[in-house]
Amino acid sequence: MSTVILQQAINGIVLGSLYVLVALGLTLIYGVLVQINFAHADVVTIGAFAAYLFTFNFGGNYLISIAVALIVGAALGWLVNAAVFAPLRERGNELLPLIATIGVSILLQNVMLLWFGPIPYAFDSPYSNQVIRLGGGTFITGQNIIIVVVSTLTIALLYVFMKFTFMGKALRAVAQDRETAGLMGINPNHLIMLTFVIASALAGMGGAMLGPILVLTPFAGTTVIVKAFAIVIIGGFGNVEGTIIAGLLVGLIESYTTQLVNPGLVDIVVFSLLLVMLAFRPTGLIAEKREENV
Amino acid sequence: MSSADHLPSAASFQRNATHRRWWLIISVIVIAILPSVLQDSYWRTNLIVCALNVMLAIGLDFILGYAGQLNLGHSAFYGIGAYVSTLLIMKLGVPFWAAFLCGILLSGTAGMALSIFAVRLRGHYLAIASLGFAVIVHQVLVNWISLTQGPLGIYGIKPPPAIALPGLPAVSFGDSANMFYLVAGFALLFYILLDRLVRSPIGETLTAIREDEVSAASLGINCTAWKVFAFGIGSAVAGAAGAFYASFVGTLVPDAFIITESFTILAMVIVGGIGTLIGPVWGAILLTVLPEVLRGFGDFRLVLYGVALTLAVLFMPGGMMQATQVFRAQFGFLRSKLGAEGTQ
Amino acid sequence: MRSAAISPAEVKALDAPGTLLFRGHGLNKSFGGVHAVRDISLSISQGEVFAIIGPNGAGKSTLLNLMSGHYQPNSGAMSFGGVDLVGLPAHKRVRLGLARTFQKIRLFNLLSVLDNVLVGFHVHHDLSAWQYLAQGAAFRRNHASCIEQARALLSFVDLEPRADVTAASLAYGERRMLELARALATSPRLLMLDEPAAGLNAAEVEKLLDRIARLRARGMTIVIVEHNMDLVMQVADRVFVMDYGQYLFDGTPSEVQASPAVIAAYLGM
Repeated sequence: MSTVILQQAINGIVLGSLYVLVALGLTLIYGVLVQINFAHADVVTIGAFAAYLFTFNFGGNYLISIAVALIVGAALGWLVNAAVFAPLRERGNELLPLIATIGVSILLQNVMLLWFGPIPYAFDSPYSNQVIRLGGGTFITGQNIIIVVVSTLTIALLYVFMKFTFMGKALRAVAQDRETAGLMGINPNHLIMLTFVIASALAGMGGAMLGPILVLTPFAGTTVIVKAFAIVIIGGFGNVEGTIIAGLLVGLIESYTTQLVNPGLVDIVVFSLLLVMLAFRPTGLIAEKREENV
Repeated sequence: MSSADHLPSAASFQRNATHRRWWLIISVIVIAILPSVLQDSYWRTNLIVCALNVMLAIGLDFILGYAGQLNLGHSAFYGIGAYVSTLLIMKLGVPFWAAFLCGILLSGTAGMALSIFAVRLRGHYLAIASLGFAVIVHQVLVNWISLTQGPLGIYGIKPPPAIALPGLPAVSFGDSANMFYLVAGFALLFYILLDRLVRSPIGETLTAIREDEVSAASLGINCTAWKVFAFGIGSAVAGAAGAFYASFVGTLVPDAFIITESFTILAMVIVGGIGTLIGPVWGAILLTVLPEVLRGFGDFRLVLYGVALTLAVLFMPGGMMQATQVFRAQFGFLRSKLGAEGTQ
Repeated sequence: MRSAAISPAEVKALDAPGTLLFRGHGLNKSFGGVHAVRDISLSISQGEVFAIIGPNGAGKSTLLNLMSGHYQPNSGAMSFGGVDLVGLPAHKRVRLGLARTFQKIRLFNLLSVLDNVLVGFHVHHDLSAWQYLAQGAAFRRNHASCIEQARALLSFVDLEPRADVTAASLAYGERRMLELARALATSPRLLMLDEPAAGLNAAEVEKLLDRIARLRARGMTIVIVEHNMDLVMQVADRVFVMDYGQYLFDGTPSEVQASPAVIAAYLGM
């Protein structure tokens, strides 16, 4: 029995670190822009397809395809922000940018549909089948090791970046008060672009690693995005530490539910948790709530 | 939702009663002759789907555009209406119209429940909560196999029972023309009811709440109660659409109600013109018919929704209704709000 | 968040029950680390014009928000016409007869001037919900009467000719007047004005003073939070001074003007 528990803990951490990677991008964007970006998950899907193409159509190395997906994600983030979100930012309406992200999401999904068709792709990474035995009767696949290593490294790098470098601090400054940051000589628009690029790069990378796990269709993003939002809410919008904790938590909950209860109930459990969070602590595990200024 | 200057105000479409009566007559005539014009089953199916989408779009517009609540889970209420009515008919032998009523009541109640739950949540949180709710509903439909038969679906759903009025031949709804009359008739009915609500002090109350809740509360308006009311009405209409959908298509699978469906309906509302009620009608018609008309262009038509929505948000957030206003102002045919009062 | 009832000693100090409209005792409100209102007690009599003044950040608007129900106090007691207010949400207080305007003007910009005022009548509608759908004779009569009263209110603030214009297109001074008319539509017993003179020019302030005087003559109780000393001194019966969220002084305008504590507080800024 304890083997099962340990094994699911390992699976949960693997899954969780992937979720964190995707959710971090979302939380970063929200932190700086106070905007929900629905198109984020489609960048994940595009990253997965990019990695697939690189590995299978170009015969490239899978590990390098992760880097390729990162670059593709970054480029896409730049493009979408420049073409769609930047122009909308000046309007100051809460609803429209949100709907714009939905529009971009639908657009990306259907472009992918045109290109790749609706039938799922079998994305097998060369490491999916390598099994390594860990202590206590548990095991982990090579793919999972890659996931954990790459995710942890990336998250750690990002954390260091945000807390200790000038750019990172500037980002946080813009998140807290865009006008004042502007007055201090920081160009908020550049920083917003930087945020989008970083977030989308993370998403692309996440996609490359998620590809072998997910059912890879152009609509794979839809299944991921709502869960990513759930994680961001549970952790607290804009809160990096919270998102990390929440992502790992959700990963663990998912793997335990799959093993011990019923795989079909996974989403129900996760989203019920989300609704419970919203009912009692909408600002997340860590943040505080405020009364509106009248 | 903050008051956005570029959105056309509800007042600007307050054509006088005569004008509205004419439009009503025209709509009835159009509905009456359409099945004669389009005789093949492919196009008749499209007509019925169109009418269903109109119902869904005006229900969502009432919630989104009039009560200002970011409901991204409208597909859930569509699905609840469909499954509740179907299961009552097929498992308990409840007559169609009673089941239909139950479907409406249950989806309306679900909408109110979600709204009460989300009443303290601001914009983004409500959006995610509604999405989460829609995912839960979908997953329940997929996984509660003993009840819904899951992904395999429910087959052999019959159309509404034939209506036999004394002295006239029975009206069978297996005939697609009659089915269209039924669905379109209800769509028109719901539109008239919602339009009435919107033009009454209730509509003004909702506009007030949408514009500024704090201010509305300072005038004695119970914002929570009204938002819950609006949500209930909008989701009840979606439930009605669901019941008709099931009895028309004959087969019911959970994947008809995935969250992407919510986005499609949202696109219809935005492209048509949010907060105008008539706009979403046009939006629903356009976005249902256009992909079919463009079939010759292959799969490019699928890109239509995304392009239309994104372009609308970027350049014409008031949708087709705003475009109409701009058009009128440009040519100075009628004194539109934009023309007569300068910038809004 | 109810505190202990008013003690017997304090009850004796207050006026005879019949004339007191609003009572607040020991009100406290904090936001995070900021203690905006500390242990404030006040009582307002029927028919008087009661001004709340104090330097910036004194907590005046917060106090008004506590009275109107937009904030709930952390502790303390409040009653209006004998009805306990603590825990009662803002919209229910309006039904009791408490109305207010806002420091930052909050009109319904998309609605017309007339419609803005009409919204204020909903509080006292006697119609049942279905009548809005059916819109039968009773509804039409009620609606017509509301429109008449709304126009009367608009005349009161000289906005009647602009009744059909969108609220967004009014000039600043007119918008303030519209807010006043709208609040009056709820048939209040106590009207609270939050910095009604802010941003008005001299002529507009005169008009505001005149309207306040007329309302007072009709027996309305008015609470004003204001910075403009001249206005306060001209129109108030009693002045309540706050500083740093706390009670400083209260009395007639001349008493307040002469009080060394008040002068020190203002000069100290």
